Amino acid sequence: MTVKPYGEEGIRVSFGNEITLETHDQVRRCYFHLSRVKRPFIRDIIPSFTCVLVVFDDTLVSRRKATAALEEDLSRLGESDPPPPAFHEIPVRYGGEDGPDCPFVCRHTGLTLEELIEIHTSVTYTVFTVGFTPGFPYLGILDERIRVPRLETPRIRVPAGSVGLAQGQTGIYPCESPGGWQIIGRTETELFNPRREPFSLMAIGDKVRFVRL
Amino acid sequence: MIEVINPGLFSLIVDGGRQGRGALGVPLSSALDGYAYRALSMLLKNDRLAAIEAMGPNFAVRFSAPLVCALTGARVRAFLDDDPVADWSSFPVRTGQTLRVRQILQGARYYLAFSRPLVLDEFMASFSTNLDARFGGYQGRPLAKGDIIETGEDRDVPPAFVVPSSIPDLTPPHRLRVLVGPEADHFSEEDLAGFFSADGPFRYRVSRSANRVGIRLEGGPPLTFRDGVPRSIVSEPLLPGTVQVPGDGLPIIVLYERTIGGYARAAVVCRADLPLLAHLRPGDAVSFMKISEEEARLDHEEAVGALKIQEIEGADH
Repeated sequence: MTVKPYGEEGIRVSFGNEITLETHDQVRRCYFHLSRVKRPFIRDIIPSFTCVLVVFDDTLVSRRKATAALEEDLSRLGESDPPPPAFHEIPVRYGGEDGPDCPFVCRHTGLTLEELIEIHTSVTYTVFTVGFTPGFPYLGILDERIRVPRLETPRIRVPAGSVGLAQGQTGIYPCESPGGWQIIGRTETELFNPRREPFSLMAIGDKVRFVRL
Repeated sequence: MIEVINPGLFSLIVDGGRQGRGALGVPLSSALDGYAYRALSMLLKNDRLAAIEAMGPNFAVRFSAPLVCALTGARVRAFLDDDPVADWSSFPVRTGQTLRVRQILQGARYYLAFSRPLVLDEFMASFSTNLDARFGGYQGRPLAKGDIIETGEDRDVPPAFVVPSSIPDLTPPHRLRVLVGPEADHFSEEDLAGFFSADGPFRYRVSRSANRVGIRLEGGPPLTFRDGVPRSIVSEPLLPGTVQVPGDGLPIIVLYERTIGGYARAAVVCRADLPLLAHLRPGDAVSFMKISEEEARLDHEEAVGALKIQEIEGADH
């Protein structure tokens, strides 16, 4: 674990640069621990695949003091366990208009559509992080057999609910947005609702299973 | 109420930003020029304002209730019906009058707010518009001709102006003060030295594809990645003003609409210069100048302290 400055208001707590479940567990533990301690000078805590960014308010505390307080909190990471992850089952219509990139993915992987769906639905995924757009879950770890590159030219509009693949991950677009992932299906499940807590259906560490409709 | 007669080139509702929701992928979506927004707050004595951020000429709104209107940000020629009004000031408006911005003289984005509160829903304690997920602001979208924004009870605020020495110069070329970014060491030492000195060859132009999400730079030398360094990183959280460098070596400055990103972060624009990013126009010259964190802190404090307003004595309001 390293603690380093970023910009004028950021402290990066980094756990290496590999996307693995072990690293993810450390990130998640750190995120929930710091969120629970809730130091008053902290404005936001943003976890990602390998790192937790703490944004502090330097009108309340100097970087030196903020870092020292954080290091003290980080020395107690083992003392509190993160909450148990929620489980989400996501029904998906694969292929056809809902999955316009299935032909490419099948050609690239040498799999039939049936095999692609079989593999995509056979894994319980972990939410590594939420971002890009509100509520967008980055899910891993993808089976080696269905790893594909991003689109060479991103789409200007990807419909809400689209389920995509890119490199080692699969994800779901909560709202219509531009996007470069290979789209293989679509879900009706609402992933983000700004009117209702907790706003995002998924949080870091949640478990997800896709089900074929 | 306030009726949008002409939304200009692009206008939307903003405030100080949606704080503390980064873990859900919800970005700040703040007013791009935080200094101009703060000036509005001071002029109207309200730091929880919903403001209009607008661009381009021809923006016009008609008022159907008397109120005090404040205008800051880009330097503009604005008129209340046929009478000129000063930018970086607040002025009384009568029922039926129309405010028009006819010309942009300097900068890009200007800001309007009013003594009467705009009747809009708050989402996660902010009025700002999230254009991606379509919530906040006015129906989660940019303003359009014919939109009607209801207003609430008027508050008594005297007309005032921002003292001339507090009004920033927004003329290009822009020399942005930056701190070294987390992945600066992904680039060749020689390039970095040039990149961080504002007068070297590493000068860029703002691309036409600059928007509220990010500002792409072009027309300058691409940064060279060191041997063996990957062209992208495992996505990490972002701070506003981060200078990301994708595989083509040309910088992109991230604004307030993304929480994570997967490109190497060569630099971070200092807080004192973040407001300037609202005013970068396609073709403007941009270069970067490295300063220390302590210098950045002092520059920020100076910028905060620099903002002074003066009430107009004896004004009829």
